[in-house]
Amino acid sequence: MKYLNKSVLELHELLKEKKIKPIDLVEEAFENIEANKELNAYITLNKEEALKQAKELEDKEVDNVLFGMPIAIKDNIVTKDLLTTCASHMLDNFTPIYNATVIDKIKEKNMIIIGKTNMDEFAMGSTSRTSYFGAPLNPWNKEKISGGSSGGSAVTIAARDLPFALGSDTGGSIRQPSSYCGIVGMKPTYGRVSRYGLIAFASSMDQIGPMTKNVYENALLLNAIVGKDDKDLTSAEKEPEDFARLIGQDIKGMKIAVPNYFMSDIVTKEVKEKIEETIELLKNAGATVDYVDMKYLDQAVTLYQVIALGEASSNLARFDGIRYGFSAENPKNIKDVYFKTRQEGFGTEVKRRIMVGAYILSGDNAKVYYNKAMSVRAAMRDEFKRIYKDYDLIIGPTATTTAYNQTDSIDDPLKSFMDDVLVNPANMAGLPGLNVPVGFDSSNLPIGMHIIGNDFDEAKMYQLASYIEKTLDLNLTPGGEK
Amino acid sequence: MSNYIPTIGVEVHVELKTNTKIFSNSTNGYGEMANSLTNVIDLGYPGTLPTLNKEVLNLAIKAATVLNCKIRREMHFDRKNYFYPDNSKNYQITQSRTPIGYDGYVEIEVNGVKKRIEIEEMHIEEDTCKSTHRGTKTLLDFNRAGVPLIEIVTKPCMASGEEAKAYLEKLRELLFYSDISDCKIEEGSMRADANVSIRKNESDPFGTKAEIKNIGSITNVGISIEKEIERQSKLYDNGETFKPQTRRYDDKIGDTVLMRVKETGNDYRYFPEPDIPFVYVTDEMIERVVATIPMLPDERRKLYIEKGVPEVNANKIVQNRSLSDYFNELLEENTNFKIASNLLLGDIAAYLNKEEKLITETTLTKDRFLELIKNMEDNTLTSKNLKDILNKILEDTSSISDIIKSSGIENITDDSAIRDVVRKVIEANPGSVEDYKTGHDRAIKFLMGQVMKESKGSANPKMAMDILVEELQ
Repeated sequence: MKYLNKSVLELHELLKEKKIKPIDLVEEAFENIEANKELNAYITLNKEEALKQAKELEDKEVDNVLFGMPIAIKDNIVTKDLLTTCASHMLDNFTPIYNATVIDKIKEKNMIIIGKTNMDEFAMGSTSRTSYFGAPLNPWNKEKISGGSSGGSAVTIAARDLPFALGSDTGGSIRQPSSYCGIVGMKPTYGRVSRYGLIAFASSMDQIGPMTKNVYENALLLNAIVGKDDKDLTSAEKEPEDFARLIGQDIKGMKIAVPNYFMSDIVTKEVKEKIEETIELLKNAGATVDYVDMKYLDQAVTLYQVIALGEASSNLARFDGIRYGFSAENPKNIKDVYFKTRQEGFGTEVKRRIMVGAYILSGDNAKVYYNKAMSVRAAMRDEFKRIYKDYDLIIGPTATTTAYNQTDSIDDPLKSFMDDVLVNPANMAGLPGLNVPVGFDSSNLPIGMHIIGNDFDEAKMYQLASYIEKTLDLNLTPGGEK
Repeated sequence: MSNYIPTIGVEVHVELKTNTKIFSNSTNGYGEMANSLTNVIDLGYPGTLPTLNKEVLNLAIKAATVLNCKIRREMHFDRKNYFYPDNSKNYQITQSRTPIGYDGYVEIEVNGVKKRIEIEEMHIEEDTCKSTHRGTKTLLDFNRAGVPLIEIVTKPCMASGEEAKAYLEKLRELLFYSDISDCKIEEGSMRADANVSIRKNESDPFGTKAEIKNIGSITNVGISIEKEIERQSKLYDNGETFKPQTRRYDDKIGDTVLMRVKETGNDYRYFPEPDIPFVYVTDEMIERVVATIPMLPDERRKLYIEKGVPEVNANKIVQNRSLSDYFNELLEENTNFKIASNLLLGDIAAYLNKEEKLITETTLTKDRFLELIKNMEDNTLTSKNLKDILNKILEDTSSISDIIKSSGIENITDDSAIRDVVRKVIEANPGSVEDYKTGHDRAIKFLMGQVMKESKGSANPKMAMDILVEELQ
């Protein structure tokens, strides 16, 4: 008997009525993952512990909707007693003695961690191909990339292995793979979710978020992981709220802006047309949709490179082979410890980004690049704020294309940055962004719409996304039944 | 050796007296087992984030206040990036662009001349871990990693080792008195580096700088600076030059030793710490902190002297924080402060030293001390007698007069008894009597000493003196 194709609410009822047990879901998740092994969505499976935990839950009251639900965790989120590699040789022996705050939170809900998902090494990439453990494959077409960096989480949800996954998003790493794999992915407002225990890439942009099959379940997982955390000074002081509360509400009168840049020539014709179709749908539902000019959007990738790589070069300095993780053998002196460990422990893309980042912060460059980028970043945020004076939400495509071939542009480091041109601005401005599938291209690869909300306006984004999801009623199970 | 004008600037690192570390809740402690006061944050584990200990902010505001600094109201932290094993994240969280305090000063006095030592800035940062080198290995103790520091940087405004010494003594006194730091140089809770350069004329640009690092005592700061001035002068006299360099003071040879020549372009790739949001200092925060600043040493000295305490005593009392606090309690009273200070710095200080006690750990309450002073003042108790009953005074709770009575050392106040002794002494020392009569004042002191000796110290000295003068007429 299969259960995981059911909605979370249905599963919750079955659990409550004791018609199924958590272990049924856990076992099924592992069966699915085994059947989809080829997709390479996971770096580490937590089978023994997950089964044990499922057993223990049998005596407990099913007290919340996420109780007993299997969840996959991106491997840059620290899990106590469970290998956390960041998809890097540098940490391929690293078993933390502490939990990320989000892990404590999902454990409070008695969710069950199934495994740690594949990703770009240290989340640096947009294809998941920089993983030390090889790239995950797109369930819609295994020749295609999953997107990244949260590729493994997107793949395991798209492949219907299990209902929930956590990803992280520094420059689009939740939304872009969600678009390529046809799932719902939310990057919450910066500060909404604690970053404690998320292995930092770019601290001023990193944010953990939920990745799910549908909008409602996405909101449920977001409900569970948000909140002010004393361990993260950048987490926001916000009262708990039900992010699903506006789901199902009419979107009539909603005011939506489409920046012209998002629909310019950088986007392929097929993607653009699908977004335009969806815009028509929204207009028909009584929403106002206006095309607007916004400054600085075309600068986002440049800003991202300067700020994210600058911060990354500092954040990744701690991996030196002295206290934890990989340490090169037979170093001759302390310099050798650093040089050899980092030479052998990091992959090419990570080293490239550290190098560029260090260069950007060096001497006068800090003024020329970093300080300048920070001021343009502030201006970009102001530009978004200007739009939100008149509009509820901003939309556009999540990605300029659909998923491309695993072998494409592999030697073009800039391509991976350009993949994120449409999603970077939300990170720059600290705004929440969400991907919702809106259709397929001619090769049956998913196309996603990007919804950018105002600060802490996630509920409204879910309202719009849910309307689109319900109205389009797409079959989002790769090559199979709904 | 020609005369050069020395220019000296001093950088001081001071560990703040907080319960926990600056960016984590590990205990801030000294002398514990290596690496027992650490957690994943101090060790820079992946994914961990700093929190900010509010007490650090309070103590830094306090320090800025006592150092007469302006306090920045909006500030951030910065990352100083460099690879070194004592630096767990391979960056240090510090304040580079927005130090909490700036434009301050401390007043010093050297050989009776007062001078303002200008403070360029003071900022908050985290301490590094302690490395111990053993042969080819280096042992790391992260107990110190993340201990809160303030770094206080003067302008290059001092002209001698003496001034630098006076500055550091003043700094230590201020920070210690305000409960900001232990300021124990030997435990590393206060560490000083001095920048020294010399030049021929005031109009010349500054000379090449040598930095003397981690000098082990304030005295050695003075010595090492003078030695360095001497060294540089000789070089210039011989027409030689030198490169900017870092030196250390070697106590054994009594001179500075080259550590390394400074490379140009030390690039720390500073940028604002993204894990800690901007910090805002409000008027209320400052007011709250200022209210906790106790009376500072200069004011104490001034008050004591005004109350009749000899200057040398006033200075000595202020050197001992607990004695000074105790003394402050008396200031409102009408008593003899000179006697009070003599008592505290004499037999009582000796007792406290021997017993390793603080004055507050004795039974000498304010009221009992006032009673003691009174007894000394009216000569009911002599210094000699005091010694015999001091332990009782400091360990019993009974009244001073009861102790005096029960000890049977109440001094002789019976006129005729004293007169008998005086007469005996006059008879036995005709020479001194003669000296006195011919105007040798010192003779009476000798005779008085004999009277006290004869009475085994029990004669009331004032009465004895009066009777002696009378009988000598």
